[in-house]
Amino acid sequence: MPVLAASGVRKRFGEVVALAGAEFSLGAGEVHALIGANGCGKSTLCKVIAGATAADAGEIRIDGETVRFTGPQDAVASGIGVFYQELSLIARMSVAENIFLGREPLRRDFVDRPRLHAATAAALASFSAALADAIDPEAQVADLTADQRQIVELLKVLTAEPRILILDEATAALDRDQVQTVFRCIRELKARGRSIIFISHRMEEVFDIADRITVMRNGVTVLSTPTAETTREAVVTAMVGAAATARTAHARHRPGEEVALLAEGLAASRLAGVSFVLHRGEILGFGGLHGQGQSEILRALFGMLPMRAGRVSIGGRPYQPKRPLVAMRRSLSYLSGDRSRNGVLAIRPIFENLVLSLLVRDRRLVVARARLERLVAPIVARLKLKFSSYDAPVTELSGGNQQKVVIGRSLAIAPAIMLLDDPTKGIDMQAKEDLYATMDELCAQGMSILLYSSDDMELLNVADRILVFNAGQVVAELAGENRTEYALYHAAYATGGALADA
Amino acid sequence: MPDTARPARPRRGRLLTQRHPYLLTILVFVLLCGINTALQPTFLLPSVAVSNLSSFLPMTLVAIGQTYVILGADIDLSIGTIVSLVNVIAATIIDSMGGSPLSIVLGLTAGLAAGLLAGLLNGVCVALLRFQPIVTTFATGVVFAGLALWVLPQAGGQVPPAFYEAYAGGVLGIPTVVWVLLGGIGFGLLVRRLRFYHALRATGGNIQAAYQTGLPVARVRITAYVIAGFFAAVAGLVLVGETASGDPLVGASLTMSSICAVVLGGTALSGCVGSFAGSILGAFVLGLINNVIFFAQMPFEWQGLVQGLIILAALSGGVMMARGRADRT
Repeated sequence: MPVLAASGVRKRFGEVVALAGAEFSLGAGEVHALIGANGCGKSTLCKVIAGATAADAGEIRIDGETVRFTGPQDAVASGIGVFYQELSLIARMSVAENIFLGREPLRRDFVDRPRLHAATAAALASFSAALADAIDPEAQVADLTADQRQIVELLKVLTAEPRILILDEATAALDRDQVQTVFRCIRELKARGRSIIFISHRMEEVFDIADRITVMRNGVTVLSTPTAETTREAVVTAMVGAAATARTAHARHRPGEEVALLAEGLAASRLAGVSFVLHRGEILGFGGLHGQGQSEILRALFGMLPMRAGRVSIGGRPYQPKRPLVAMRRSLSYLSGDRSRNGVLAIRPIFENLVLSLLVRDRRLVVARARLERLVAPIVARLKLKFSSYDAPVTELSGGNQQKVVIGRSLAIAPAIMLLDDPTKGIDMQAKEDLYATMDELCAQGMSILLYSSDDMELLNVADRILVFNAGQVVAELAGENRTEYALYHAAYATGGALADA
Repeated sequence: MPDTARPARPRRGRLLTQRHPYLLTILVFVLLCGINTALQPTFLLPSVAVSNLSSFLPMTLVAIGQTYVILGADIDLSIGTIVSLVNVIAATIIDSMGGSPLSIVLGLTAGLAAGLLAGLLNGVCVALLRFQPIVTTFATGVVFAGLALWVLPQAGGQVPPAFYEAYAGGVLGIPTVVWVLLGGIGFGLLVRRLRFYHALRATGGNIQAAYQTGLPVARVRITAYVIAGFFAAVAGLVLVGETASGDPLVGASLTMSSICAVVLGGTALSGCVGSFAGSILGAFVLGLINNVIFFAQMPFEWQGLVQGLIILAALSGGVMMARGRADRT
């Protein structure tokens, strides 16, 4: 009987289906790798198992008994420990306080500080060989380096002695020696009959440590096999989907030779020197795992993130992205798929939402509505945007149509270059198709587009070239016949985690 | 997502005042004691010290209570009106029952219960119903203030001499006010060693992480508000002994003072970091500043101005520290 079994787990976030009937089974003393491409649902499945997210449907059984977690504390009580990818540390508390948070050793109802310190020192000792600088149990977590923090998070989970351990990207910031130390811990736990769910984007780690591999795609489980009976190729193929491996995206645009934007050695938060050329009429895609700096480039170019180093030129003239207003005056336009944060003004009329960028760029003292209406009318027509009245609140529209309003707003300033930051997140298929058609049309007219998408298929179908990112750097460029899912996954996953080689 | 592109630098050797923000307050405290002694030569006499302590005591108590709420990254803007409410409830019950020993017990118990209930109401609204803490406690504060005026529209009520004489007197040769302060300190020392305290700081430091760790964050926040209500209640009862009557407006200025004292004591308004001892020190500093304003015959309104400036200064200090950290989080 499996220690943990999840069956038929379903979960929707708004219009997005994260899990569409996921199956997962974990045996006692088993190290089970759970892998899949961006947005395949593996993180959501882990959060459901950890009680941090409630599933819409499906069943979780522990030792054969159905459990219903109302929150993480229930999962903790059932012996489930989770290493969170985004870490669950309190920056302004000490290492010792963090590791034993909620489980502090007691003496007559009071926290036993000497024992807390000693237990922490003992836990840290197992990692001392792999650490360049020893960690002081009384040090504040805020003062630690990224790898030290990751080790503290790991010890926080390990010292709870969970029966079921979920490691979500637990090795991402660690170097080889540290990874080997983590693996030694995992093997010790396994020897004591504990079960481990191991999530990693580093294929070699998965094949090194896992007894069993389960692959998810589009919210369902597509493969579950003992590691010994499979190969890396078979696993990547399962992630991609058998039929899709041979599919090549079509080059639909005819980019000219003229350079629209040139970036050299761009450095900013999470960006470590990125160079690229964007041609006129071209769609250049940014791909790879989530959060490898793709979105940061777009925001740095639009003046939303400070640029530390590097040179940018637009149309041959140097460009300093200081503020969004400067970017807009140089005919850049930025669009985020995160509508709640960067998009619509929720209760304001559609018209106000459409003309916002125009108003900001032109900075006129007096606004003539008739002039603005003349300017946005052709855009409304092009986007096939339908609404009852310009004065209706924008929230009256569906998600896809709200997104069209935001697109219309950025088109209103007639940009030469569009920066699209995951623009189709959470919108329906028809709205996506409309956006793609609009992008094609705009490119044909000479506009250039930088597109970051968390949807790999979208990148492959829409972009002329794709730069694959890893840890703030471009690790591969896919163009022409090379633009296949297989190539994209290989570039993104096979190298996973740049610090591994640092 | 861990920051893999750029490993964070460890930062050591931060400024001493950054590590221990209350060091500056200790310095100011010593300085103020000097100024007070100069203005009022009897300042250091035990009897004068006790009388100063008894006038600072309500502010000190609410500051201790407010500390726990702020450590959890919440705030209680109703704490002063809880003091008023408790004060008039106790005074009215004692007065209406003729000042018998039973009436005193009943009055004190009812006052304490009212304070705890008020704290519970705040906590439930903020932690369970997820109302915004500033707006919520501002609103409940208006309700408590209204209730206080309804119970006792004007300052008054008679408290039997035995009660306020006992308060002004002492036990085992130590004045009652000192006992109350020692009680507050003892409470703080005990709570500091509880698991609850770790959970509270964790909740204030990063509520999402605390929740994922399996801590009962809602219960922790509610408990902090109940503690604040408890200390407000004790302050309200202390004021009955101090003034020998009830006053529905007695706590009006204490909310601002409590936050100011907490900030002066080095507790971050963003939560997680701080101590009740710092808040006691902060309350003393505020009291001494008020003394200076009084003895220098400056207008009373200056007290509010000084408190406002202190909070602004502390906030700007916090913002600058946050900027120093911004590139690493």
